[in-house]
Amino acid sequence: MGALAAVALVVAGTLVIGLRGVAAMRTTSDFLVASRRVSPLLNSAAVSGEYLSAASFLGVAGLVVKDGVGALWYPVGFTAGYIAMLILVAAPLRRSGALTVPDFAEARLRSPLLRRLSAAVVLVIGALYVVPQFRTAGLVLSAVSATPYWVGVVIAGFVVSVTLALGGMRAATYVQAFQFGLKLLLFIVPAVWLVVLAGPEVRHAAVHPVDFTRFAADTPVSFQVDVTLVVEEPTRVRTGEGDVLRLRPGEHRMAGGTSAVFPEGARVPEVRGDAPLDAQEWARPLLDQEGDGHPLVGTWAVLVATALGTMGLPHILMRFHTSPDGRAARRTAAITVALLGVFYLFPGVYGVLGRVLVPELYLSTATDTVVVALPAQVDTGWAGALVTALLTMGAFAAFLATSLGLVLVMAGAIAHDLLPGGLRRLRVTVVGVAAGTVLLALPAAGIDVGVVVTWGFTVAAATFCPLLVLGVWWPRLTASGAVAGVLTGLLTTLGAIALALFGPPLGGLGGLLVTQPALWTVPLAFAAMAGVSLRGRPPSWSRRAMLRLHLDERRLEGPGGPPPGGRTAGGR
Amino acid sequence: MPQRPRRVTVTSPQTRLAHARGRARGRWRVPRLDPADADRALRLYRRQRAQALRALAAVLALLIGLPAVFALWPQAQEVRVLGIPLAWPLLAWLPYPAMMLLARWQLRRAERVEDG
Repeated sequence: MGALAAVALVVAGTLVIGLRGVAAMRTTSDFLVASRRVSPLLNSAAVSGEYLSAASFLGVAGLVVKDGVGALWYPVGFTAGYIAMLILVAAPLRRSGALTVPDFAEARLRSPLLRRLSAAVVLVIGALYVVPQFRTAGLVLSAVSATPYWVGVVIAGFVVSVTLALGGMRAATYVQAFQFGLKLLLFIVPAVWLVVLAGPEVRHAAVHPVDFTRFAADTPVSFQVDVTLVVEEPTRVRTGEGDVLRLRPGEHRMAGGTSAVFPEGARVPEVRGDAPLDAQEWARPLLDQEGDGHPLVGTWAVLVATALGTMGLPHILMRFHTSPDGRAARRTAAITVALLGVFYLFPGVYGVLGRVLVPELYLSTATDTVVVALPAQVDTGWAGALVTALLTMGAFAAFLATSLGLVLVMAGAIAHDLLPGGLRRLRVTVVGVAAGTVLLALPAAGIDVGVVVTWGFTVAAATFCPLLVLGVWWPRLTASGAVAGVLTGLLTTLGAIALALFGPPLGGLGGLLVTQPALWTVPLAFAAMAGVSLRGRPPSWSRRAMLRLHLDERRLEGPGGPPPGGRTAGGR
Repeated sequence: MPQRPRRVTVTSPQTRLAHARGRARGRWRVPRLDPADADRALRLYRRQRAQALRALAAVLALLIGLPAVFALWPQAQEVRVLGIPLAWPLLAWLPYPAMMLLARWQLRRAERVEDG
């Protein structure tokens, strides 16, 4: 119940702060980008708040338990993304004066086709990213209380749509800055508490990992989703109903929603499709997720996807447009690196403690819940329950913050880019997108959050990253080149995802390049964009359009571009 | 007390039409640059590009180099400092202060280019 009260508190806080932002909001610009008057520090707290999703708050620690210490490369890539942003796109993008990525595409290249294509890409990235957020909201609520899965999903959808429909981006800025502080506090304090309370033996065991082959005590495992176990020795387990089940050597399917108690000393079964928890492999500081034997390539693939994908995440890019000018946008990116760097010092602590205290989560494949499962392991009294409640609060804040930005940017893509629209239609669209996400998330309880979110990053890295980098730095980019590159990146990445989902299981390097396609789809998208551009001829104003992005504001007339009465030529 | 007349916005029929159509997209304009601004923009572009390439090289050195070091020197997980395998803090903690310093350096250099 404590956990439910904590979630209610976050929801109430979000609504109150969100509603305070309603005042003085009249135009689309107010709604989408808070009229561009947000200071760098506030904005970078909001960027970090929006960015630290379920994947960061829960997912990274869970991946450390499942895949090993090498999973800590994910947050390195997440943070490096902001350095790439700072170096390459932050200031010029803000100076373009565009509201969204599709706006930028049209302003720089004057191609309505590219605008609509970019809007479609926004929807693909948004869906890959926001559905797992809603799904994890439902799972965590059902893990800490007795509520069914759908309740958490519906609550998330309701809060997101109400906050956004009433307050828009202005509300979201305050909400997310508030939630960043909340998440930072709720992540760091329990981590320190856990390390102190765990005691010297657990701390020693944590840095001397052993193979997880025998259960050290009678161990209950609850299965949230269907799992196939590979049993090597005959094992007697007690089921949740109290029956005794004899598992013969071979494969056994455990249905979602059931539980089983494995006896002390029994051999730990393997999970089909996952590598066993071998200590030597686990402690290696490289990522070898499927046990495919190419840890260095696997690590680089994840780094490329996360670092370049961050630059292309549409909801994050929109945040940079809320800065008053290019310099402020650049400062926002730099401060964000520092804020994220503080947060990411801690997921490893949860992961390493989880590996020694709750390794059995590996059997249920629910390692995502390791962060909220840990407090009960070191303290069974009120303190443990309180810390669990606090962590649940932080996790819920994480889903909400990320979902707010994503739903807003998806609604923006539909109402602002695909259809001509004003404020009212944007509000209706926000509610529609939230409802659609709830419907998609309801049957998605079994998906792997880490994989799906990484695919979202990969799509962004293979589409918007080349578009922005070449758009900002290469005067010869043409509209047809940009369309070709974005299409190439989108189709190859989606093709690889489809092959990974529905194709035959591929081992080795081939399998790695299909499940983590960033290493080849991103260079391919860049090559297609550059190649097609070189065959065409950019319009005469192309060079001016690019140089303008590098001119500091003191030389530009007025904030955000030329005055409305400026000379016009051409039209739509 | 006489009732105050309601305030209305006075606009031309064209403005009302334009508002009714919605003005979210704005019209595309040919980008303009004064010759003086164009010179300055070109100078800024070249200097920022040179600085960006230097900073990118530093980021790449970290992101390509550190995994390569771990791959070529697997003993890093055997060596222990204060009981902790050396490779763990190198991965879990070292990159963040390094990236913060890099971000600060890049920000300073990029702003100095514009101030100069």
